[in-house]
Amino acid sequence: MSEAEAYAYDAEMRKANRAKAVAGRSVIFKIKRCDGPNKPSRWESFKVPIEEGANVISSLNWIAANPVTVDGKKTTPVVWESSCLEEVCGACTMLINGRVRQSCSCLINEYAPREGDVMTLEPMSKFPVIRDLWVDRARLFHNLTRIKAWVPIDGTYNMGPGPKESHDHQQMRYALSECMSCGCCLDACPQFTKQEDESKWDSSFIGAHAISQARYFNEHDTGKQLKADRMDALSGAGGINDCGNAQNCVKVCPKGIPLTESIGAIGRSATIHAIKQFFQGKK
Amino acid sequence: MADEKRADEKRVIVVGGGLAGLAATIRIAEAGMPVDLFSMVPVKRSHSVCAQGGINACNEVARQQGYSEYQHFDETLIGGDFLNDQHPVLEMTNWAPKIIDLLDRMGVPFNRSNEGFRDLRLFGGSLFKRTHFSGATTGQQLLYALDEQTRRFAAEGKVNKKEFWEFLWPIVEGAGENARCVGIVAQDMRTMQIQSFRADAVVMATGGCGLVFGKSTNSVICTGGAASRCYQAGAWYGNAEMIQVHPTAIPGADKCRLMSESARGEGGRVWVPAKKGDTRKPRDIPENERYYILEERYPKYGNLVPRDIATREIFDVCVNEGMGINGTNQVYLDLTHMDPDYLTEKLGGILDIYEKFVGDDPRFTPMRIFPAVHYSMGGLWTTYTPGEYQPDSPISGFKPGDPIPVGNEPGMGMEVGAHNNAMTNITGLYAFGEVNFAYHGATRLGANALLSCIFDGLCNGVSVVNFVREGGHQPVFELDQAVFDAATKQEQDKHDKLLDSTSSGTGDRKLNPYQIAFELGEEMNAASTVVKTGPRLEKCLSKLDELKERYSKVELGDGAMWTNQSLSFTRAVGDMIIIGEAIAKAGLLREESRGSHYRTDFPERNDDKFWKASVAKFNKDSGKSDIEFVDVKAGLVKLRPRDYGKTESNAAPAQKEPVGAS
Amino acid sequence: MSENADSMQTRHFLLRRLHSLTGIVPIGVFLIVHLTTNSTIAWGGLNTRAQSEGFGWMDRAIATFQHEVSFINNMPLLLLIEVTLWSAIGFHSILGVYYAISGKGNTGAYKYSSNFRYALQRITGYFGIFFIFYHVATLRWGWTWLVPGGTQWSHEAASSTFAAAIQGSTDGFTAVGFLVACFYFLGVSALVFHFANGLWTAAITWGITISRPAQKRWGVICAGLGAGLMLMAWASVIGFATLDYEQASAVEKTMHGEQIHLNTDEPTEAVTLTESKEIDG
Ligand SMILES: Cc1cc2nc3c(=O)[nH]c(=O)nc-3n(C[C@H](O)[C@H](O)[C@H](O)COP(=O)(O)OP(=O)(O)OC[C@H]3O[C@@H](n4cnc5c(N)ncnc54)[C@H](O)[C@@H]3O)c2cc1C
Ligand code: HEM
Ligand code: SF4
Ligand code: SF4
Ligand code: FES
Repeated sequence: MSEAEAYAYDAEMRKANRAKAVAGRSVIFKIKRCDGPNKPSRWESFKVPIEEGANVISSLNWIAANPVTVDGKKTTPVVWESSCLEEVCGACTMLINGRVRQSCSCLINEYAPREGDVMTLEPMSKFPVIRDLWVDRARLFHNLTRIKAWVPIDGTYNMGPGPKESHDHQQMRYALSECMSCGCCLDACPQFTKQEDESKWDSSFIGAHAISQARYFNEHDTGKQLKADRMDALSGAGGINDCGNAQNCVKVCPKGIPLTESIGAIGRSATIHAIKQFFQGKK
Repeated sequence: MADEKRADEKRVIVVGGGLAGLAATIRIAEAGMPVDLFSMVPVKRSHSVCAQGGINACNEVARQQGYSEYQHFDETLIGGDFLNDQHPVLEMTNWAPKIIDLLDRMGVPFNRSNEGFRDLRLFGGSLFKRTHFSGATTGQQLLYALDEQTRRFAAEGKVNKKEFWEFLWPIVEGAGENARCVGIVAQDMRTMQIQSFRADAVVMATGGCGLVFGKSTNSVICTGGAASRCYQAGAWYGNAEMIQVHPTAIPGADKCRLMSESARGEGGRVWVPAKKGDTRKPRDIPENERYYILEERYPKYGNLVPRDIATREIFDVCVNEGMGINGTNQVYLDLTHMDPDYLTEKLGGILDIYEKFVGDDPRFTPMRIFPAVHYSMGGLWTTYTPGEYQPDSPISGFKPGDPIPVGNEPGMGMEVGAHNNAMTNITGLYAFGEVNFAYHGATRLGANALLSCIFDGLCNGVSVVNFVREGGHQPVFELDQAVFDAATKQEQDKHDKLLDSTSSGTGDRKLNPYQIAFELGEEMNAASTVVKTGPRLEKCLSKLDELKERYSKVELGDGAMWTNQSLSFTRAVGDMIIIGEAIAKAGLLREESRGSHYRTDFPERNDDKFWKASVAKFNKDSGKSDIEFVDVKAGLVKLRPRDYGKTESNAAPAQKEPVGAS
Repeated sequence: MSENADSMQTRHFLLRRLHSLTGIVPIGVFLIVHLTTNSTIAWGGLNTRAQSEGFGWMDRAIATFQHEVSFINNMPLLLLIEVTLWSAIGFHSILGVYYAISGKGNTGAYKYSSNFRYALQRITGYFGIFFIFYHVATLRWGWTWLVPGGTQWSHEAASSTFAAAIQGSTDGFTAVGFLVACFYFLGVSALVFHFANGLWTAAITWGITISRPAQKRWGVICAGLGAGLMLMAWASVIGFATLDYEQASAVEKTMHGEQIHLNTDEPTEAVTLTESKEIDG
């Protein structure tokens, strides 16, 4: 299946599901639960009445208010992370039917249109679980520090406007700027693996998210000043070279960030950076 | 980095990592003061990401067309129906262009014109293009820019980020005039550890309280819990009753998402089935059996009536007449009579949002919308030191192009760096951003909130630094540990009591925290949003009493000692009821209509009695609010009627829309 | 950053880029040459210069192939070429295995074509090295115990002995021989895929293709190249698998007995046999 076909297939299937959604049905949520780090996981199922417009969050809300499993066993409300509920903050990312995505924008009608359909919810697979569906994504933010994801301004005092920028260049940067650090691209990446040992973060694959952010900052006139530092970080272990070009990242990115283009662009920068270093000597 | 803390260093705590909190953090850290930044969510996920429309500031183009910072100031006051504190607003609008420059330098990808200048868009409440924007996600871009700078300071060890920590209580020493905030109690939301933190100043930047109204356009963390806790600890709460409701939101099972007004601008028609309880699909209902609410009630303006009117009429049809679709609180916003290709071209983005969250394509199925709570103008009461501009008498009737009575240098409106700017009545406790009541009066103009948040952080961050350095207070690191231990214990006890309730388990649904929160939202929404009346508010207050009574026996569903989200939520529910009571009571006592506050029993603005801010003070004995009305801090601009388009200037269409777009 | 970390950084970068480079030059280039040579068994009949008394299409093909093999065996500095190639393959595959185990495939959940290609790149790598090993061990190192029928490949009788090796006997297919032929078929297919797909990813790795359309266009070119190589690879395997041992043997004998003019540039030079260098061709 080509990329476009996979998209179309997904979208078509979901649309078709939407059309045949039965009103007033109940759906089974099979949820992978875990009481805390190093505790065993277990599955619990809940039968949730689906109100109009229901999504995974509203269903989890319902479970929180009625924490009883299908076998009638009383349990605790499921723990998960969420904030904006508009698919702009990235908090509510989890595996739904085995695939990573935001739960707030996941309509039940598109996944479980019939009475008794089952949906599975699991925590993201590449980050340590804190509890239930809540994972610790500190590494994702750490990776932003790793590539110095900021513009090194002199200070916050008034010094006039920033560098002028063409319309097209802004459009290009804007496309990158929408990344909400949700980590979908990391969870779906076969090269990005779980790493609980914090001391190994700096040498483990950084993933498309930070690679693309590095490009974002390299593309800013002031942000550029740190380009050499960023390329140092990205040329080493766990950097751009660890990407295996599976290109899952770009397909699961909810914001449509052109991640594979960023990977190519950073690959080019890394090539040039290496040549420069070779001929100019170390910084 | 937490371990690097030095015991003999003055520190500042910032609670909240939205725009306001981050701007403050950056400014304070830049001044060399160590900052502990607390947030319930990773700061990059704060509610500020939701803002779409833009951020206002005077700019060169508008200036040459006769616009000025002063006029931005004037518009903000009219928008707020003169309930704003005037000096901070003047200072804010004077800073606005410089704030945009700074954000620009930080790398915010503001939209660009063909020539490469920052592009501008027209927004409600002004005839001039003065809104800067970054695609349809301005708030996200601004928040990220500040997040990046904060990360930089954190990497340098100047900021100690404590994410997934919940603020529980301000530690206040002394009472009344001498009350001073010396730290906070907070809880790690993962380990559930409760701990006290010392600080020479505490900045609250915890955002709004939309969740008090159940489903709103706000994020799930916007419970107002943090503000409520400060309020219960003795901080005053101003203009609680001023809640902005957005006319067109998409009701969802979990939250209401904003639907831009451009849908109506492009020809969208608002209607309900003429026959109550008509369950047919919208497209099966013939034209003559539809009730086009706005077109029939306002033949002249039709669907383009001002926002507050649209909000009220939609609300009226559903809530009072029960004519909403299938008896629900929803009406159709219909674009299906238009050419789908045209719609895609003009409104593609927002129609996609609708389809994404509702699952219907608005090109072929009418959208279902309803007004939703959007923003709280009210918040913690704060004070300030006025700046240099102090006219002998307030100026009146400013028009575009008039000579500007005041320059735009810093310090005209407020004395920059004065210790008490944006400080609550508790010394050393500041309130920035949406939780600060000062700027927006009775209604906020669109795209002014982001500005006020960043302004608070940048301008009043300086005040915090000065206060800590020069305030002459005993450094907090010298204080006796007992104060902090007592505070920790107080919160630990509350926490343990809640945890204990798990086992009591009568299983009574009425004691379920989610049920209580649900009823609170329903009640507040029905009684205290779009249309208010005395009797309804009184009923609301007694409902709140009942909820409070039930809450005192609330039963927690999860007794876990690890990452107990229910506990955090349940704790917030108690605090939400208390803020809700202040909102309803202030609304009951304000017997007039002003801005967002509309009382059918008092439909006129009453300046003699109510050109005053409501100030709620928590009465520890009764557990309720005592409301006072105190004079608005004015003196710069003379009070005048807020009727857009009639008296002030020849109304252009843009001026029909006083309330901000988002 | 410490000196040590710095040099680690550089080394990591160099290793990865060398891995990518070795995949193309020399390994990839060799693959192209090798497949071109081998596929002469299918199209060598076109070579009218390989003419001799009574030669038909197949005879000419056999002769051409034999000539190519002999030519290679006569190349100067063959040892150097071999060493380079072997170290490149060794380097590329050891690192390749290391890189391959650092990832964790997930085509179960994410059924995107590019993800399958990613997985296939690894699988074909593993399979490819296994195949290369068998191929070399049996033909070059003479591990005839791995060859059904036990034929010893000889570069003097390149077609016939190879045909026997993959058919399982000197007179047509045996059951095991058929399996070996299939194994060859899969092996060459895997390597061709691996190379063509590797060429596509290498362009991203080096930052040559950045935009989506560029990646797509380059993808079409790589697919075209891959298809061409695949045809050659299949033609080779099928060619040898269906080759008649007796016929090949006869042609080879003729070649060694008579002087056949294969190259008009060197009309007088006979095909001579050298004992010294040979490669697995
Ligand atoms: C849908 C939508 C669109 C909008 N569009 C616009 C627009 O276009 N233009 C405009 O000007 N304004 C807009 N607004 C308004 C504006 O977004 C908000 O007013 C503003 O972002 C508030 O920022 P803040 O910094 O005060 O708080 P927030 O961004 O709400 O941040 C609050 C912070 O406090 C933390 N916090 C809260 N409670 C606690 C606690 N107990 N303990 C620890 N931390 C806590 C949170 O974790 C968070 O970090 C919009 C609002 C909405 C809802
Ligand atoms: C005839 C033999 C081979 C050829 C022609 C070949 C060629 C290539 C090429 C051109 C690449 C692309 C490099 C890039 O993306 O930059 C590649 C990648 C790769 N090769 Fe090979 N290769 C061969 C053998 C092997 C073997 C035996 C293995 C061992 C398992 C192997 C494992 C890999 C792996 C894992 C990659 C992906 C590296 C990455 O993307 O990070 N290859 N190969
Ligand atoms: S292209 Fe690279 S970063 Fe993206 S999923 Fe594949 S391996 Fe991961
Ligand atoms: S690039 Fe896309 S998938 Fe990855 S973190 Fe950003 S928004 Fe999420
Ligand atoms: S809650 Fe913010 S993306 Fe889902």
